[in-house]
Amino acid sequence: MGEKLKPAKLLIVATKSGRVTKKYPYEEPLVSPDFRGLIEIDENKCIGCGACVNACPPNALQLISDKDTTVIRYFIGRCIFCWRCVDACPVGAIKGTRNFELATDDASDLYVHVVHKRAKCEACEGSGGTQKMLYYVVEKSPITEEYLNECPDCRKNSFIESVAKRRTGGVGE
Amino acid sequence: MVSKFLKKSIWVFHLNTGSCNACDIEILDVLTPFHDAERFGVKLVTSPRHADAILLTGPITAEALPKVINAIEAAPRPRVVIALGSCGVGGGIWHDTYSTIGGIKGLQKILEEKGVKVDAFYYVPGCPIRPEAILYAVALFKGLVQKKVKSEIKHAE
Repeated sequence: MGEKLKPAKLLIVATKSGRVTKKYPYEEPLVSPDFRGLIEIDENKCIGCGACVNACPPNALQLISDKDTTVIRYFIGRCIFCWRCVDACPVGAIKGTRNFELATDDASDLYVHVVHKRAKCEACEGSGGTQKMLYYVVEKSPITEEYLNECPDCRKNSFIESVAKRRTGGVGE
Repeated sequence: MVSKFLKKSIWVFHLNTGSCNACDIEILDVLTPFHDAERFGVKLVTSPRHADAILLTGPITAEALPKVINAIEAAPRPRVVIALGSCGVGGGIWHDTYSTIGGIKGLQKILEEKGVKVDAFYYVPGCPIRPEAILYAVALFKGLVQKKVKSEIKHAE
């Protein structure tokens, strides 16, 4: 049998160590500056390119497209808070916060949607990328307007047509 | 938000359904004197028959699914399931793998088919959940703090 601590000795040990319990819900949490929490998407900066969707390991960020709109859906319940999207975003629209208090009784509270309008194609019925994405591309590398208003497929076709016209036109004359 | 079912001391049964053990360690952290969830009456029990709430961690693997259903069925009404961590809530990085059912959403469907009624589901995301996040959830059930997350639809201009 090992030596037992007498109650008086225990009291001395307890008074030396003092109170260790944190009062957490009533005081600030112990969050370090490096802690990674919830991300916030700035809808005014976001261009809807989907770079964050490609970078996301658990597909917490998803790109859902229909004819008129492109939606970036952020499901907090699946997010692993790795902040790869923060690094991947080309316009710095995603900001990391230190918020971790995410408990809820309703699963629909855990969804954040960012809705983008899609650019309409002038040649065909379809639509290309988002409108803000086109503005971003034009700012980076100016291209002619006739290519700008078309969807990627039509743009490809009209470019090939114009190249073919230039070649055969020379031969014909 | 005040929980209708968890007003008094919460006795919890810890149910690991294929988790990586990070969330389970955080649950034990909460019960240490440093964070001390027993301030709010939280106590771990060893049988689901004694439990008010079931703490479910992990993405619910196909192997664990029958045992999970058995454990939930054994808990007395009103029974509450608290999904902890990204895996429990939404499947985490395993949400579309062949061997898991992808979190609590798949489990809800299966429980409905089997006729097992669960009175409330609560969600605590985090990967892994901080001990403070669990304490925050407990405080939320008792109405001591306000709910912070809400569903948002942002329109880009």
